[in-house]
Amino acid sequence: MDTLEKQDERKPTGIRRILRDMRQVVYGMAAHDMSRAALRTRASMEHLFILITMGDLLGIPILPPYYSLRLLPYVVPQISTWKRRMLREKDLSDAMF
Amino acid sequence: MGLRKLFEANPERRYIMFGGKGGLGKTTFSAATAYWLARNGKRVLVFSVDPQASLTDIFQKDIFGKGPVQIVENLWAQEIDADTHIKQYQNEIRKKILDLYGLEAVPSEIENYIQAASAEPAMEESAIFDAVVDVVVKGDFDYYIYDLVPLGHALYYLSMAKVYDQWINKITKLREEMREYEEMAGRLKRQKQTEQDHILEELHYIKGRINASSAILTDRARTAFFFVVVPEDMIIRDTQNAARLFAQFDVPISGYVVNRVIPHELLQQHIPEYLGHRIEMQDRYLQQIRDTLGDRVVAQVPELERDVTGLPMIEKLADLMYAS
Repeated sequence: MDTLEKQDERKPTGIRRILRDMRQVVYGMAAHDMSRAALRTRASMEHLFILITMGDLLGIPILPPYYSLRLLPYVVPQISTWKRRMLREKDLSDAMF
Repeated sequence: MGLRKLFEANPERRYIMFGGKGGLGKTTFSAATAYWLARNGKRVLVFSVDPQASLTDIFQKDIFGKGPVQIVENLWAQEIDADTHIKQYQNEIRKKILDLYGLEAVPSEIENYIQAASAEPAMEESAIFDAVVDVVVKGDFDYYIYDLVPLGHALYYLSMAKVYDQWINKITKLREEMREYEEMAGRLKRQKQTEQDHILEELHYIKGRINASSAILTDRARTAFFFVVVPEDMIIRDTQNAARLFAQFDVPISGYVVNRVIPHELLQQHIPEYLGHRIEMQDRYLQQIRDTLGDRVVAQVPELERDVTGLPMIEKLADLMYAS
């Protein structure tokens, strides 16, 4: 925020000021919401995946194995080595969802 | 009310099940009932949900994994081949993973998980459970006779159906909340949303499948569940416990069938002492059964002179069970 203001030699007035404010709000919103959404997505995906796998490890069938297998393709990204493999090839922003 | 009258009085009960401990005569009764109904002009499918099915043995025809096989006019029998079903299913899952992520091969951790999950005994049972949904939903037949797995597993499905339903509801709610939230915040990555929608879709699908089966099992109007017992002490106690459990899950028991009854008339003949004792013991238990189950006993089936395999014996048993 400070750098933006410093860059403007004179205080912006009128339309410039509105645009600047809007830009700041949009950046703020995007960063904030994106990270919150990403966190919730990951949390619930982890949750689901843990239920599916831990269920088996603990000998507690959570879903019938036939049905939990159906969900497997959608929780594949959660597996750490797979993630690491993906990180190597694509850039960080993709891997972070 | 006898078995025959029960069927005649309740024609809308199209899903028939014989349950009880292993080895007491469920398959035999399923086959005899199917035969009798078919002879009366009804289209009948008798199918096995037991991974160690014995319909092939009783009909003396190899029907394993061959879909519905016609035995005689109006009578079809089916033994679901769980293993082939599972293998095909695994390949579908693998293909989905490869397509979804543009991979050349399934990552080893995922492959390990797929193999491990499929090695569980519960996998075979749940695969059959799912295959049954397809069988009964198709609706080609007038009657569907389930040759059920031994007692414990039937109860397992029933209890788990409710648990899964609740669990899936919770997860579904969570994901739907998440989806709403993200729609509000604005989409950045479309692919992510598709994945979540897919999971929601899958959860709904799974819920639908589980409910289709348990809806039939608990539908008093459409389902008749017969409990098979024999006149022995432990069995009676076990059956009482099981009946209580079934009541908890709202599964209607339409009646009890007592099997392996040694004909009382033998006492008139010259018989070895031990056989005499057995008949006396049996009489005691039959009395106990009458006392505890009363008029819910719908049939008493004698011990026949040989095992019930092949159509002639099946016919003989059907005549005994469904005499007018």
